[in-house]
Amino acid sequence: MEQTNPKANFSNFPINGVSRNHVVTIMPVPAKKLVIKNLKSTPELPEDYMNQTWKKLKGAVVAIQQSKANQYSLEELYQAVENMCNHKMASLLYKKLQSLIEVHVSRNIEQFVAESMDRYLFLKKMNETWQAHCQQMIMIRSIFLYLDRTYILQNHISSIWDMGLELFGKYILLNTLVQTRVVEGLLMLIEKERQGDQVDRSLLKSLLRMLTDLSIYNVSFEQKFIQATERLYAAEGQCLMQELEVPDYLVHVDKRLAEENERVLHYLDSATKYQLIHTVEKQLLREHVSQILQKGLDQLLTEYRLTDLGLLYDLLSRVKNGIVELCSAFNAFIKKRGKTIVINPEKDKSMVQELLDFKDDMDTVVTKCFHKHERFTNSLKEAFENFINQRTNKPAELIAKFIDSKLRAGNKEATEEELERLLDKIMVLFRFIHGKDVFEAFYKKDLAKRLLVGKSASVDAEKSMLSKLKQECGGGFTSKLEGMFKDMELSKDIIQAFKLVHTSNKKLSQIDMTVSILTMGYWPSYQHMEVSLPEYMVKLQDVFKEFYLNKHSGRKLQWQPTLGHCVLKARFNSGPKELVVSLFQSLVLLLFNDCDELSLEDIKVATNIEDGELRRTLQSLACGKARVLLKTPKGREVQDEDHFKFNAEFVNKLFRIKINQIQMKETTEEQKATEERVFQDRQYQIDAAIVRIMKMRKSLTHNLLISELYLQLKFPVKPADLKKRIESLIDRDYMERDKENSTQYNYVA
Amino acid sequence: MADENENEKMDNENQKPEKMFTLKKWNAVAMWSWDVECDTCAICRVQVMDACLRCQAESKKDSYGKQDCVVVWGECNHSFHYCCMSLWVKQNNRCPLCQQEWSIQRMGK
Ligand SMILES: [Zn+2]
Ligand SMILES: [Zn+2]
Ligand SMILES: [Zn+2]
Repeated sequence: MEQTNPKANFSNFPINGVSRNHVVTIMPVPAKKLVIKNLKSTPELPEDYMNQTWKKLKGAVVAIQQSKANQYSLEELYQAVENMCNHKMASLLYKKLQSLIEVHVSRNIEQFVAESMDRYLFLKKMNETWQAHCQQMIMIRSIFLYLDRTYILQNHISSIWDMGLELFGKYILLNTLVQTRVVEGLLMLIEKERQGDQVDRSLLKSLLRMLTDLSIYNVSFEQKFIQATERLYAAEGQCLMQELEVPDYLVHVDKRLAEENERVLHYLDSATKYQLIHTVEKQLLREHVSQILQKGLDQLLTEYRLTDLGLLYDLLSRVKNGIVELCSAFNAFIKKRGKTIVINPEKDKSMVQELLDFKDDMDTVVTKCFHKHERFTNSLKEAFENFINQRTNKPAELIAKFIDSKLRAGNKEATEEELERLLDKIMVLFRFIHGKDVFEAFYKKDLAKRLLVGKSASVDAEKSMLSKLKQECGGGFTSKLEGMFKDMELSKDIIQAFKLVHTSNKKLSQIDMTVSILTMGYWPSYQHMEVSLPEYMVKLQDVFKEFYLNKHSGRKLQWQPTLGHCVLKARFNSGPKELVVSLFQSLVLLLFNDCDELSLEDIKVATNIEDGELRRTLQSLACGKARVLLKTPKGREVQDEDHFKFNAEFVNKLFRIKINQIQMKETTEEQKATEERVFQDRQYQIDAAIVRIMKMRKSLTHNLLISELYLQLKFPVKPADLKKRIESLIDRDYMERDKENSTQYNYVA
Repeated sequence: MADENENEKMDNENQKPEKMFTLKKWNAVAMWSWDVECDTCAICRVQVMDACLRCQAESKKDSYGKQDCVVVWGECNHSFHYCCMSLWVKQNNRCPLCQQEWSIQRMGK
C-alpha cells in the first residue's frame, strides 16, 4: 500500500481530479518573493488591528465556503495574512482558520447520517461535498499562502491543505456509518460494472482518490474489494467451467482480465493491480487448470485451433505450474493420438503421410501457439519417439517404403526442392525410430529394385538421401547401401571392357547385353532359381562369366534369373512393337517363335520356371492389360489345362509397351527372413562396436562399456544380449577380463 | 526345346526378321561371392563376404572396406580374411582349421 503520504500537498491536487480551470482564475500571481522581514522593526499597529483584519479574512473564507462573491481583492487578503504573520499573530491566525474550517466541515456531516439516501445519490452527494471541499481549500490556501510558507513550514505542523483533509476525514469519513456507506456504494458500482452495466467511472475515480487522499483506501476499501473479487470469480469460475466449452471459457477469462486491467487504468489505485489480477487469475484459471486441459486440450489440438491454443498458452503461462501442466497434457495427447496412427494395421497405407502431417501440425502448434518454448519442443520429440516405437519394426518398414515411392521414377508430383524438403521431413521421423537397421533392410530392398530396373527417378535424390542417412547414423550404417551404388558403377565398367574384347563376336553384338554384378552381402538376398534359357543366351552368360572370373580370381558368380529383364522385338499384324518384359516373360514369349499353341505343362517343361512364378508370368501376358498371348479357356486365373496362343491381332497405341510382371505379395516368410537377417546382422554390429570401443579405450569397466555401446548402436538391444557378445569376444581373444578387477575388460591387440 | 538341334535352329533363327519375337536387349543380374567352402572366417567368426571384425570396427569412413579386407586361401584350401590370417600367422604359422603349415595358395581380387 503506497497511500501512506498524508501530506498530499496542494500542488498535487489538480492531478487528483479537480478541474484546474477554477484554480487558475483565483490563484494569485505566484511570482511573490519570500521575504522574511526584520521583526525588530515592527511598525506600530492600530488598535483592534487583529480583530479588524481577521474579520476581513473570515468574511472571505465564509464567502468561499458559501460560494459567494468576495468583497476584497485577493491581493489585499494576501497582504492581510502577511501582515498578521509578521506581527506575531501567525499562531492565532492558524487556530482561527482551523476552527473556521472545522465548523464548516462538521456541518456537512449531517446530510450523510441523517436521511437514508439512495446509494447512488449518496455517492454523488459525497463526491460533490468532497469536490467542493477541495476547491474551497485551494482558494483558502491561496489567500493564506504566506502562512503556509512561513509559520507552518517553520513549526512543522499540518499545512492548510492537510489540515483541511484531516478535518474532512475526522468529521465525515471516519464516521463509521458514512465510511461503510461509501465503501459499500463503491463496491456496488463496481459489481454493477462487472455485470455489464455502464457506471459513472469518474465518480468512482474521484471517490477512490478521496479515500487515497484520506489514507484509508487500503484499510477501508482495498481489502473488501479484493474479497468481493475473489468471491465473484470463484463462483463465476465454477459456474462457467460447467456451462461453457473450453474455448469460450478462455475467451471469457481473457475478457475478464482485460476488463480488470482497464479498471485499474480508469479508477482503481495502481497499487491494487497486482493483487487484483492475481486474484482473478487464481479463481478463473489456477483453480481450473487440470479441468481446462482435461476438457479442452484434445479438442483444440484435434481441431487444430491455433488461435485458441495460443490463448490457452498465454493464459496458462500466467499461473503457477500452468505451463508445466499444459506441456504434460500436450505430451499425453501426442502419445495417444500418435499411437492410433501407428498401431492399427488397417491404416498402414496412410501411416507415414499421417505421421508427417501430424508432425507438421504439432510443430506449427509449438511454433505459433507455444512460442517455441524449449520444454514443448523437447516434449514433442520425446512423445514422437515414444509412440512411434510402440509398434516394432512396422513404422521403420513403412517409412522405407514411403521413401521408395518418392524416389521411384514416375513420381513427378514434386519438384527437386520439394522432394528434398520432403526427405528432410522423413528424416525427422526416421530419427525417432529405434530399429534403424530394420529400416535399412527394407530400404535396401527397395533401393535394389530401383537400381536394377533403372527405376530411380533421380541419381541426385538417391545420393542426397544416402548422405542424409550417413549423416544421421554414420558411415557404418550406409556402407552397404553405398556398396550397392558402387556395384552398379563397377558393372558398367566391366560390361564396357567386356564389349571391347568381344566386338568381333557377331552373336554377342546382336544382343545388347548388360550385366549387373552384385556383391553378396551388400544386396538383399534373393531366392535362387534355375531356369532353362535358350542356348544362345546360355552361351552369352558363359562367355561373360569366363571373362569376369578371369579378372577376379577367387570369386564365384551366381546368375539371378528372377532379377533379369529384357526388351523383345515383336511382330504383330498391326506392325512391329517393342516389349519391355522380365526375363521370365521373355522366356515364355520366345517359345512361341516355334509353336503356335502351348499348354501350361509344355511351357513349364520348356522353361523350367517354378510353377507359381510361371502362372503369374502367364497371367501377366494373357490376362493383364497388354494381352500378347491368348488363353483358352478365357479367365482371370491360369488353370492346369489352359492353352496359350500368340495374339497376332494385338493392338496398342504405343510402340514400346511395358508388361508388368505380377508381383507375388510379400509373404510373411519373406518378411520374417528380412527380420531374421536384421537380427543376425545385429550380432556382427554389436561385436564390431565392442571391438571399436575397446580398441580406442584399451580398458573399460563393464558398465562404461555398456553405456558407450548404447550410444553407438542404432537398434534396441537388451543388456543380456550385450553380455553374451562380450563373452563371445573374450572367447575369441579380442579382449580379456582384468586379472585383478573382474568387472574390467582389457583390449587384446 | 531341350533338344540340341532345335536350340541350334532357334539360335540361327534369332537373326531372321520374320520371327515373332526377337531378343533385343538383355539386362542380366549375377551375384558374386568368394569361392570358399565355408562362409565364415574361423578366426573372427564373421562371414568372409563381410569385412573382418577389426576392419568393421575401424572402417567408419572406409565404406568400401572389402577391397582391403580380401580373402586368402591356404594350400589346404581353407580360407580366411587376409587381415585375420596375417595376424594369426605371427603367433602360429599353421592353419587354424587343419593345423597344416600355412602357405598361401591364392588371394581374392
Ligand atoms: Zn576374419
Ligand atoms: Zn580385415
Ligand atoms: Zn587348413
